[in-house]
Amino acid sequence: MLGVATFACGGDRDRDADTLTLWTSNNPPEITTADWAVQRFRESGGKAEAQPVPEGQSSEEVILAAVVGGTTPDIYANMWQGSVALYAEAHVLVALDTLDGFLPWLTARCTPETIAEVTAPDGHIYQVPWKVNPIRMSYRVDAFPEGAPRTYDEYLAAAKRLQADQSGDGYVDTYVGYTSPRTIWYERLFNFYPLYLAATAGAPLVADGKAAFDRPEAVAVFAFLRKLYADNYFTRDRLDAQGDPFLSRKIASKWTGPWDISYLERYAPADLKYDFAAMLVPNRNTDSLPPYTYADPKNIVIFNTCPNAQEAWDFLANGMLSLEGDLQLLTRSNQLPRRADLLTNPAFSDYFRQNPRMVPFAEQARRIAGVTHEPLIIEVLDVISQEYEACVLFGMKTPEAAIHDAAEAVNVILRADNPT
Amino acid sequence: MRRLLPDRLLPYAMVSPYLIYLSVFIAFPVAFSIWLTFHKWNIIGEPVAVGFDNYVRLVQDRLFWLSIFNTLKFLLLHIPLQIAVALGLAVLLDKPIRGRAFFRGAYFLPVIVSGVVVTILWQQLLATDGGVINRLLTGIGLGRVGWLVDPDVAMYAIAVMATWKNVGLYVILFLAGLQSVPEHYYEAARLEGANAWQQFRFVTLPAINPTFFAVVVLSTIGGFSLFIEPYVLTGGGPLNSTLSAVLYIYKQAFQYYHMGYAATLGLAFSMLILGVVAIQQRFIESDDDA
Repeated sequence: MLGVATFACGGDRDRDADTLTLWTSNNPPEITTADWAVQRFRESGGKAEAQPVPEGQSSEEVILAAVVGGTTPDIYANMWQGSVALYAEAHVLVALDTLDGFLPWLTARCTPETIAEVTAPDGHIYQVPWKVNPIRMSYRVDAFPEGAPRTYDEYLAAAKRLQADQSGDGYVDTYVGYTSPRTIWYERLFNFYPLYLAATAGAPLVADGKAAFDRPEAVAVFAFLRKLYADNYFTRDRLDAQGDPFLSRKIASKWTGPWDISYLERYAPADLKYDFAAMLVPNRNTDSLPPYTYADPKNIVIFNTCPNAQEAWDFLANGMLSLEGDLQLLTRSNQLPRRADLLTNPAFSDYFRQNPRMVPFAEQARRIAGVTHEPLIIEVLDVISQEYEACVLFGMKTPEAAIHDAAEAVNVILRADNPT
Repeated sequence: MRRLLPDRLLPYAMVSPYLIYLSVFIAFPVAFSIWLTFHKWNIIGEPVAVGFDNYVRLVQDRLFWLSIFNTLKFLLLHIPLQIAVALGLAVLLDKPIRGRAFFRGAYFLPVIVSGVVVTILWQQLLATDGGVINRLLTGIGLGRVGWLVDPDVAMYAIAVMATWKNVGLYVILFLAGLQSVPEHYYEAARLEGANAWQQFRFVTLPAINPTFFAVVVLSTIGGFSLFIEPYVLTGGGPLNSTLSAVLYIYKQAFQYYHMGYAATLGLAFSMLILGVVAIQQRFIESDDDA
């Protein structure tokens, strides 16, 4: 029985060693794009197959199980940038900069900032910067007659005006916005973190093995968010299981990504006029570019179980990561390839002409950041989340104390992991 | 079989399926967990021996002790409430009332519904703004309660929800116990002049003591494994007030990949459950003996 179980578990290893395997997310447009790349590779004489990441509670758990079990695919296309450091430290990823053609391809495609962001402290690069979904603010046009708010003060002024109880039932009719109050770490990537990046022009949370966020801009972000809850402009209730509060006009804005465009086009009532704007900042700037925001980057990695990493890279470079592959990704899934020439390359012109709402997101893609290459980034975000709850949601700490305590706690964690 | 195996090996062959199960699914995981408590391991890399570091950290870990306190707070309401409600319903359903079979089925229904579904349903009921319960309260002129956002209330709200979810199982157990009480006990009590309460207190309760003990132990162990409700409803918040011990162990293991420390927490927690159940056994069974 044990023998049968062992054999069954190891079945994936019995596949044809010459055939590259690619796991994608289970998002249908991405599966189609991967299938297109596989077909193209086969036509050139290569052997490859693609499949969506196997079902599990989350794709992260499935990948982790595959790493532990030694059943990883050759290529995984959809890894959150924050997970890469953990796997790189465990030596289960191929250093892509050791492969022929990778560095020229990278420098031709990406900005120096992007390259710096994906470079590990050991100098190697373990991930291909593939796609981004910049976080911006969607808002109801009728709720902001003076145009999209750009600063904290403008947003708070609108919040005060919107916070009325016309129906007289004792409940706020319209909240100015909503963001998940859950304390789980990743929720901070969609409220605190993009605001922090906007306020600091893309500063990292961790630098040189220490917390780098104990600074006035982070305090200002906490103070702003804290006021939203203290004055009941945001609700501490979870609205995610009560239908879409934006469509039902319970809220006037939210922080979201470009995936919301096709969703709203499909489900928004005809009389609900909406638009998108940049993340809020403490003070108006005169810069022509939007303030920074979180990129929500998903990247591609090659696992070291791959018997021919060079062939895997060639497969990617000539397929999914080629100009045509990027266009396939963009047109099929409305996700932005992470390349510097997105708005200048004529290959994408038709797409942006036909999808004008995507243009601001593409412009935003010039001012985005992922997360620091840090194996303990989840714990860093978790610590911030704990202080966020105490300060922002419940007002039990001052913003200064909360940010300072979070930085101290993060430093303890980072020191414990790397005592030298 | 006798022809294939010598007589002295036959008994081992007969029990070998269970021995294999015991070895693979119980003995090995337990032994591996204990071994892990002396190591630092993130699943992906190699385990690193750290001696008693995990135990030292456990003693100093404020969140672990808070999670134990939260779990005990939950049990303090959940167990008495569950027993009282289950016993009350079982007594009612033991009587020849109309629609008895329907009610027996209806009370059991939440037990077989997925915990996640039940939790999402209760999220609608318990929301501060727009939740059904608060709408009812404000409708009769009372104030709103932050069922899931007030740190002083959230764990009790979860205890009530968990009771609603699980009570059906204990109703069935109590019903089985009640139906096993011989009728002539009650006849004798009535002849002695006992009223309904006295019959319940001095006949029913002692007679169902083994069931009572089973219910207390099962609901204690079930209560200690509180996980789905805070995981889905509150994520352990607000301000860690619903962070149960199992949820904390889960976070250490599967959010931070601190497998060694999570194993240490798990071992300490299982010892605590063992101790509590041993105390319960001593008190409840000694009542029976008396």
